[in-house]
Amino acid sequence: MSNFQAIDFFALLPFMIVLVTAIALLLVETFAEAFSKQYASWMTLAALIAAFIASMIAPESHQELLTPWIRFDALARFFTQFFLLIGIATTLLSSSFFQRFDASHGEYFFLQLSAIFGLMLIGASADFLTLFLGIETLSISLYVLCGYMKSWRFSSEAALKYFLMGSLAAAILVYGVALIYGATGTTSFADMSKGQQGILLYSGIALVALGLAFEAAIVPFQLWAPDVYDGASTPVTAFMAVGTKAGAFAAFIRVFLGAFPHISFWHEGIAFFAYPTLIYANIVALRQFQLRRFFAYSGISHAGFLLIPLVAGTPQAIPAMLFYLIVYAAATLGSFAVLSFLDERSEGVLLSDLSGLFKTSPYLAGTLSLCLLTLAGIPPSVGFFAKLYIFQVAFQAGYYSLVVVGLLTTIISAYYYMRIIAIMMSSEVSETKPLYTRPSIIVSALSAAIILLLTCYPEPILNIVEAMQ
Amino acid sequence: MALVFWIFIIPLIASGVLFCFPRRTLAVLMSLIPLMMLVWLATDAVGSSISYNWMPSIGVHFSLRMDSISLLFVYLVAVIIPITLLIVEIAPLILALTLVLQALLFGFFTARDLALFTFFWEAMLIPLFLMMNISGGEKRKKAAMKFLIYMIAGSCLMIAAVLGLYFAVGTFSLDSLSTQSGNIFYAKWILAIFLLAFAVKTPLFPFHGWLPDAYYEASTAGTILLAALLSKAGIYGVYRIGIEIFPTILREWSPMLLAIAIAGVFYGALTAWSQKDFKRLIAYSSLSHVNFILVGLFVWNEAAHSGAILQAINHGITITALFLVVGWLAERLHFTEIGPVSGLAHFLPYLCWLTIFFVMASVALPGTNNFVGELLIFFGVFKENPWLAAFLSLMIILSAMYMLRWVQDVYFEEPSFFQQSWVDISAKEFVIALPLVILILWIGLYPAPILKLIEMRG
Repeated sequence: MSNFQAIDFFALLPFMIVLVTAIALLLVETFAEAFSKQYASWMTLAALIAAFIASMIAPESHQELLTPWIRFDALARFFTQFFLLIGIATTLLSSSFFQRFDASHGEYFFLQLSAIFGLMLIGASADFLTLFLGIETLSISLYVLCGYMKSWRFSSEAALKYFLMGSLAAAILVYGVALIYGATGTTSFADMSKGQQGILLYSGIALVALGLAFEAAIVPFQLWAPDVYDGASTPVTAFMAVGTKAGAFAAFIRVFLGAFPHISFWHEGIAFFAYPTLIYANIVALRQFQLRRFFAYSGISHAGFLLIPLVAGTPQAIPAMLFYLIVYAAATLGSFAVLSFLDERSEGVLLSDLSGLFKTSPYLAGTLSLCLLTLAGIPPSVGFFAKLYIFQVAFQAGYYSLVVVGLLTTIISAYYYMRIIAIMMSSEVSETKPLYTRPSIIVSALSAAIILLLTCYPEPILNIVEAMQ
Repeated sequence: MALVFWIFIIPLIASGVLFCFPRRTLAVLMSLIPLMMLVWLATDAVGSSISYNWMPSIGVHFSLRMDSISLLFVYLVAVIIPITLLIVEIAPLILALTLVLQALLFGFFTARDLALFTFFWEAMLIPLFLMMNISGGEKRKKAAMKFLIYMIAGSCLMIAAVLGLYFAVGTFSLDSLSTQSGNIFYAKWILAIFLLAFAVKTPLFPFHGWLPDAYYEASTAGTILLAALLSKAGIYGVYRIGIEIFPTILREWSPMLLAIAIAGVFYGALTAWSQKDFKRLIAYSSLSHVNFILVGLFVWNEAAHSGAILQAINHGITITALFLVVGWLAERLHFTEIGPVSGLAHFLPYLCWLTIFFVMASVALPGTNNFVGELLIFFGVFKENPWLAAFLSLMIILSAMYMLRWVQDVYFEEPSFFQQSWVDISAKEFVIALPLVILILWIGLYPAPILKLIEMRG
């Protein structure tokens, strides 16, 4: 064993910044509530930006001291930066939310930073134990965050539901890990190919897949998502829609494409989830009128699309998934940023609140339309190419039926996304007055800019994700 | 930078400007820039190209090239868009959206990369969908949604076909695809999916379910964009993908496709005849005429193909003219039924003469543009099968019957009581129609330059 060296320190720096700030926030909230109320969001933001810069500086490390548990390869760095950006966006949305609704601040941002820390741990995990640690850190923070608005009717119900279902999923996941340990004698991803294959290992993999499917809200483990998204406050919902989803797929990539590329039986198994996810989510989304709930189903359907390259499991699968995740994250965060302008009740924004938005605020309506077009995957937006990439990977691997089902469900998704745009264009203007707050303006403008940039000049991002093969 | 790049990017920039400053004059002037560039370069425009490795990991190139066929369709877009901008209802966004549509159509008609072709193919729906939502009849939202879902349903499987071609040949480049298409696995399935998409957009009978509502509920400008430009995208697609990439299979399928298209010609004509509403009548006559163009493409004969391409341009001009005068008439009457009023020639003589001129062009009177195109198609069909040509010529009689009956009912016979809103067309309106009159006569009397361009293909 070598000693702790400077390179290890730099590799860990982003993690330490996030963790230390989280704990510091808790202390500040305890001893100086007034200060915390004013500056907690700024401290969070500063910490996330500092961590982002630190992760840019940190070199790739293969030092032995940490690599059995945490990996610092290019993929880990990508995930760290991606999650930090999501964190920055949700922090901004949260601070805009607190300008409308009165609630205490310090512990909220503590929980949010812990959740981001959990996500980063998932993205960098090299062992089932660190992976589990990451998922639990994320989930436990989210259980509390969901019920954070104590006075809201549905919040506690949502939090409890999420907690019960989530603990069950965690139990299944740990049981799967135990079976895998029993079969291979190790929990390290790198050593998975050494163990013997057999029914023990296979059932372990299947249970891990079920546990992760719960996190990603994949049919038939999606039941919690609509209620939880509905009950939580808008910034938390945005964080779950983007962060948790991306975290779950980071775990999928780490486990299935990182640890078990030599085993082939899970391809068919995951395909078994992909079909119902695509079909069910898209059909149910047709009937949603509350937008947080709508985005829950939209998120489930996108999880279905993200499963398509995972099923293919070719080297190109990782770049295709990462590109899709980036596009999905930008469009979803942009949509939530627009919703945060209109979010004035605990029930969230209803479809009818958007009526006539093109008249009252063409810029908001334009941004939301851009995001929805991107989510629908209709040109002229980069969403089309993100989908094309995914279908290309699946087609090459020979999963034609998955491609066809994916394409057919995009017809349905086009209907429900475009219907929102049509409502915004209607001539009756709803009475909801947008409240402009600076943080939401930043998030919506940045998301729109990222989508436009990705549409016109996607090469840099494509090069980055290409390098992850 | 090449012309194809400029004519694509200028309308996009213009739409950005119009989003901030919606002024009609500004919009018209900016939409005329591409037309002026095209006229300035004349035939030198052919061959102008640009290729940029847009998304290397997916294999998509931003590759545009102008050949003689593209040039014709690009001219059509460049002429029709300024005219629609002149008559469009001013509402927020409409001007900007029309310019976006112009850019996307320019891109579509010059795209030389199959993925880019598909990209523009679907992208052009969005501005039209939004425009139909903003202005038009009472049930426009329903019609717009129906239109969008039909279109996306028709073309969503196209992605699978595009990927099939990509993995069979290893490139999205249309040039390579047309030379190496002989040994494609599942070629018939791929072509069938493409034809389905083109059939919905053109629309080929019986895929026209969206057409009556969309044409009827859209505003005059929206209807013109749908009938004159969007339907041409389908025809262009049949030519570019069907005839250039899959010639052998299309030839094999020729009898079956011909039967469908001919059925469409007569279905459109007979339905138009039975209409009690003149906007719907023109809509169905358009259906009949575009199916006739497809007849020209599906007959395996050089003359018929030339005729079909010429007729595609002619139809774009004539249908714009017809919807224009119908729109003006509807503005004055406040309804579009045939029957409640008659003898309008008495009060609106100039509009009446203009309408009659355009109707004559539509029924292919010698000296007008449609005469040349239809003659070429008939010539081609006659060479393949004289009986079929004879049968098809019934369509001309039918179109004369329903068109003239409408003109007779509305403009002639016993004059109704005068109403305040019946004001004849103004000088401005006449100037808007003038370019169309000139084009109709020019192509009718001196078609040589256009025919030469068409001959330059392949």
